[in-house]
Amino acid sequence: MMNPLRDVWQSIFRRDPLSTDKGKSELVFLNVWLHIHPAKVKKENLKVKHTFYLGFITFFLFLILVTTGVALMFYYRPNPPQAYQDMKDLQFAVYLGSFLRNMHRWAAHGMVICVFLHMCRVFYTGSYKRPRQFNWVIGVVLFLLTLGLSFTGYLLPWDQLAFWAITVGTNIGSYAPLVGSRIRELLLGGHTVGEAALLRFYVLHVAVLPAVMTLLTMVHFWRVRKDGGLSRPVWKLKAEKSAQLVTIGAPDTIAPLPAVPASKDKTYGLMEVVTGKPIFETVSMEEEEDTVFSYPYAFFREGVALLITVATVMAVSIFWQAPLEELANPAKTPNPAKAPWYFLGLQELVSHSALLGGVIVPGLAVLALLAIPYIDPNPSRRPADRKWAIRAFTLFVVVNVVLIVVGTLFRGPGWAFVPPWVHITGAE
Amino acid sequence: MNRRSFFSWGTAGLVALCSAISVSLGAVVRFLTPSVFYEPPQNFKIGNPADFSFGPPTFLAEEKIFVFRDREKGFAVANAVCTHLGCTVGYFQNDERFHCPCHGSVFNADGAVQHGPAPRPLEWFEVTLARDGRLRVDKDHVVPASYRLMVS
Repeated sequence: MMNPLRDVWQSIFRRDPLSTDKGKSELVFLNVWLHIHPAKVKKENLKVKHTFYLGFITFFLFLILVTTGVALMFYYRPNPPQAYQDMKDLQFAVYLGSFLRNMHRWAAHGMVICVFLHMCRVFYTGSYKRPRQFNWVIGVVLFLLTLGLSFTGYLLPWDQLAFWAITVGTNIGSYAPLVGSRIRELLLGGHTVGEAALLRFYVLHVAVLPAVMTLLTMVHFWRVRKDGGLSRPVWKLKAEKSAQLVTIGAPDTIAPLPAVPASKDKTYGLMEVVTGKPIFETVSMEEEEDTVFSYPYAFFREGVALLITVATVMAVSIFWQAPLEELANPAKTPNPAKAPWYFLGLQELVSHSALLGGVIVPGLAVLALLAIPYIDPNPSRRPADRKWAIRAFTLFVVVNVVLIVVGTLFRGPGWAFVPPWVHITGAE
Repeated sequence: MNRRSFFSWGTAGLVALCSAISVSLGAVVRFLTPSVFYEPPQNFKIGNPADFSFGPPTFLAEEKIFVFRDREKGFAVANAVCTHLGCTVGYFQNDERFHCPCHGSVFNADGAVQHGPAPRPLEWFEVTLARDGRLRVDKDHVVPASYRLMVS
């Protein structure tokens, strides 16, 4: 009786027991879900204070968004009058409906914050430098996709906020030179925000953008793995160890391929031998005591990060309701008509000039972000060597935060400047 | 295959590939552009002249227009859509100006920009008398702010 059960178990998990090193390695590289990890990681890769696990947290928030989003789709019809009714149903009639909607909304806000913080962390640790330049570019695109998913998700409740945020947003698009009005027509499927626009934003939100996001996330992770694994503070390594770091194939290194001594305790597979230099593979000649097996050390930490993320989103969703305004009314613009907070910096800019603030300045900012790894000639990742880069990026972050704070707290009816306590007391 | 024919076939292949891609992209854009718009008509009747009072303008919410009626000058129709980013402006009788709630643009009674980020004045639409005696507004026909329809 026991043997068939063990046969089934072993047919699923075809590895040695986890008490052995071989089993720990096979757990990783014989498993389709885990094999993005290396079998062993460097101890510094696991340091919370270097990465704050922001990339992991962002990915976990994305998983929460996919799960709750699919759940919400069972009760949502993308048609103007029904869409709003379905929101009310989710709030008051569907079992756990409002909880799931809250989770979806707050996880989305959290993802915008975490993507941004992750980008800051990657900048401040210099992790976009060779050989990771292009992965930074993919990261910026993922950040824009996150904003695009937030924007398209915003229209779906079909409330006043949704309607006017999309009206203003697509009109900003129409200021783009040459193709502007065409973009707006394609986005809306017409000339006004109506049922065609709702359907288009729905398809973008639940199918097109998540698919692109998933694909690019896979490329992003794959490249992290190929470029030497998670980020770590290489500038803090002891001098003799950092001298042992070689980047094979980098144009300015002529280091010969190091000979790795064969060991009886290691298992080798014979790959096909090809000639030529490998492109950019950072090889660390560190001792074995600097590394640990991914199982259990890395997986445990990732599991903790996942649990904390899910628990935080759940706790926030129990105590705070996702806002829902009244049914969209094309005739009456609310005053003030504010976008969600992460677009209020942009709204503050367009309140001065739509072309300059809505198209030119954000366009240049995105181009500058994309270009960072290619215009920063400094090879050092040590913060003390990159004072001006750090100052410039900090200025960019501060300007963004100030614009968002002004747009959120200091703007009242007619976008007039008001002190923030007006919002708190509601005295308008 | 010799060098010459390799390059001529290669060029032909590249041209064919590029044209196939452009045609496909064009087809995608065309597919996403609706052939029929199920939207409210741009040219519509708003009622009899007698339905509109003198004095403050009448706001028609569905059509997003203000109908002005002046004793001496006659009828004029202003677009209630802000030229900045498309919010619906309000007309305030106390200062006789249009105010946009979104980004604070202010237009005078002629629709000219007085304050704020709006790049152009508010539009005025042609208003005519239809054969059945009702007023007809044509949103595709923008007229100068001085345009008036006299109805005796």
